[in-house]
Amino acid sequence: MRIILAEDNDILRKSLSFFLESKGFIVDQFSDGKDALDAIAVNNYDLILTDINMPGSSGMEITQHVRQSLNSDVPIIILTSSGVEQTELDSFDIGANEFIAKPVSPAVLLVRINKLLKSHLR
Amino acid sequence: MQHDNFPIPENELQRLAALRRYNILDTLPDHAFNDATKLVSYICGVPIAHISFIDESRQWFKSEIGIGLSEVPREISFCQYTIMESELVEINDTFLNERFKDDPNVTDGFKVRFYAGIPLTTPDGYNIGTLCAIDHVSKTLNENQRNALSIIAKHVIVQLELQTKNIELDKQKKIAEKAVFAKDSFLANMSHEIRTPLNSIIGFTDLLAQTNLDEVQSEYINNVQIAGENLLLIVNDILDLSKIESGNLTIDAEPFNLKKTLKHVYNLLKVKVQKDVEFNLYLDADLPEMVVGDQGRLNQILVNLIGNALKFTKEGEVTASVKKVDETESSYSLKFSVKDTGIGIQKSKLKTVFDRFTQAEETTTRTYGGTGLGLNIVKQLIELQQSEIHVKSELNRGSEFFFTLTYKKATQSQSTLKMPSKNDLGQLKILLCEDNVLNQKLVRSVMNNFGFELDTAVNGEEGIELLKANKYDLVLMDLQMPVKDGYQTTEFIRNEMNLDIPIIAMTAHSLVGEQERCFKVGMDAYVPKPFKQPALLQAIKTVMTKDTAAEKKRILDLSFLDEMACGDPDFRQEMINLFIEKIPHDIAQLEEAFKNENVLAVKMLAHNMKSSLDIFMLEDLSNCVAIIEEEASTGQISTEIFDKINILHCGIHETVKILKEL
Repeated sequence: MRIILAEDNDILRKSLSFFLESKGFIVDQFSDGKDALDAIAVNNYDLILTDINMPGSSGMEITQHVRQSLNSDVPIIILTSSGVEQTELDSFDIGANEFIAKPVSPAVLLVRINKLLKSHLR
Repeated sequence: MQHDNFPIPENELQRLAALRRYNILDTLPDHAFNDATKLVSYICGVPIAHISFIDESRQWFKSEIGIGLSEVPREISFCQYTIMESELVEINDTFLNERFKDDPNVTDGFKVRFYAGIPLTTPDGYNIGTLCAIDHVSKTLNENQRNALSIIAKHVIVQLELQTKNIELDKQKKIAEKAVFAKDSFLANMSHEIRTPLNSIIGFTDLLAQTNLDEVQSEYINNVQIAGENLLLIVNDILDLSKIESGNLTIDAEPFNLKKTLKHVYNLLKVKVQKDVEFNLYLDADLPEMVVGDQGRLNQILVNLIGNALKFTKEGEVTASVKKVDETESSYSLKFSVKDTGIGIQKSKLKTVFDRFTQAEETTTRTYGGTGLGLNIVKQLIELQQSEIHVKSELNRGSEFFFTLTYKKATQSQSTLKMPSKNDLGQLKILLCEDNVLNQKLVRSVMNNFGFELDTAVNGEEGIELLKANKYDLVLMDLQMPVKDGYQTTEFIRNEMNLDIPIIAMTAHSLVGEQERCFKVGMDAYVPKPFKQPALLQAIKTVMTKDTAAEKKRILDLSFLDEMACGDPDFRQEMINLFIEKIPHDIAQLEEAFKNENVLAVKMLAHNMKSSLDIFMLEDLSNCVAIIEEEASTGQISTEIFDKINILHCGIHETVKILKEL
């Protein structure tokens, strides 16, 4: 299973990558939203994990691009530290599958990823 | 822009401007408006109700029941006609109405059979929207229902006005906060600028007074000393006042010896008594020895009140007395009174004597001196301790000022306060980091008097070099220095050199927070400038004989990181190293952005730091950056951000230090 992770905080990105790799995923990590979008265009990812606020492109823009321009239904999980309800509503509105508030619990993240991958493959 | 397909009010441009002023279009749903819409539906007994605003092209629904749309084109709305009116428009049966009987919303669409709409009129008379009740059957409202609709419409406008005013108020509040912040910084700087030279004047005068002088010289020096002390009092008064005003003055709750404090005040002021005046201190026999409270502020209050009494009394008596008036299981209530037989205060002036810059008589300042701030400060200091001051007075007979303070009882262990050891400290070798030449000389003389050896560095960098080359017992650290300031130098000594040599901060800064920051970067004591020789000696004694008992340290919880690392120690260490490398850099950038008032950068940096802090479960610091981010989102630099950055700075350096020791 190949996951793309877009997150601009180095420590969080490296930790999450390490955690997911330990759980058997292949993780491509990016700190810039634009770079992540370029990678999504050329690679086949099973799941997209993205922060909202990033340099380059935001997580919202990535989600919108994947759904509208690439016309792909690859599962997307949005991570954010925003406690604002509207952000969550907006995330689902533009087509994200999950919305996880930071700080992200690795265990919870893993459960959600597995759930999404399972239902997507079915 | 010419629309032929809907009627346009003649004041359309002004009407649109009025609408835009409220910033209501395309906002999120709001309870207040939803409630009003529900009321309309209940009161009129209709399935459709809404509150809408009409701009140049559309009718936008702020709140609706039974419509399910967020907006409709202006030309198809019923309300395009209602905003042309000044009162309720009621169409009992649209089938019978010439204008509407063939309207698509009547024949089809919403199947509107009954329509009642009232314009939402701003206080300056523009119809910016409508409040409507709609039904699928014909209907006639009764008088009460019509009245209710116009009342609700008025409330909707009141609500809008209120929201706009709240936003405006919030903006003004931020501006005011910024002004207070600027004033505080100005005062802190001013205090530094004035107190540094004053420090030298008072210190050298002290030293000069200890040399062999003839009688005339002694008198001159004595006068200089008095003037210097007075100037210091004035500067301190102004600073105190600014601290009280900005809410930065806190009342300590430390155990102290009450009787000793009172006797100290008495001895201090005894020298000022004029020859025909008797000055007495009466203490109740059952006064407690030790209480918990703010000794410094009690001192200040009494010195001020008694000082005044002595100043205004030419003959007779000045009496200070303290009585225990109440005692509970946990506290004592003590009544303090200062009574004199001086010039007294006119009845008409009794109310204003506590006001700022108001002395009882205009001529008082000329005759007796003073800043006119003293009593105001006393009053506020007493109020800060949840009490109030009272005055009784009769002109030419005398005055009495009295107040009651409640102090917590000291516990057994607090009562046996450890006195600083009297044993001789021997010949200490001391390093002074100080850039001001006069201060260097002053400290050198004082240290020589104490019999200590002193080396001087003109900045932190040089101090560090000296520390590397020699062995010292103690560092005296000025805070403001070129190249490396006192904070940076202390951090370097603690974190890079890993030395636990006692460091005493010497600072002319007087704002609250300064002292806390000194302790947080790892200094051991704090002596304000201009320093008094006994105070400095006391601080040296305290740090040299300090218990080496383990200090309270932050306890780090790395369980989150461990979970991420899945038990891999190398990865765990890699992340710790990354944190140690990255986060001090982040906070430096944040401080820089704050200094440059780059609000956007402050917001983004704070946002980014949050994730790092969360991984190390530094909840308090994570909350700090969340607040910084939130405050910065308002687009203004606030004192709140300044405070939080300070706390963050200290917390991060403490954490990094602990992580390095792991």
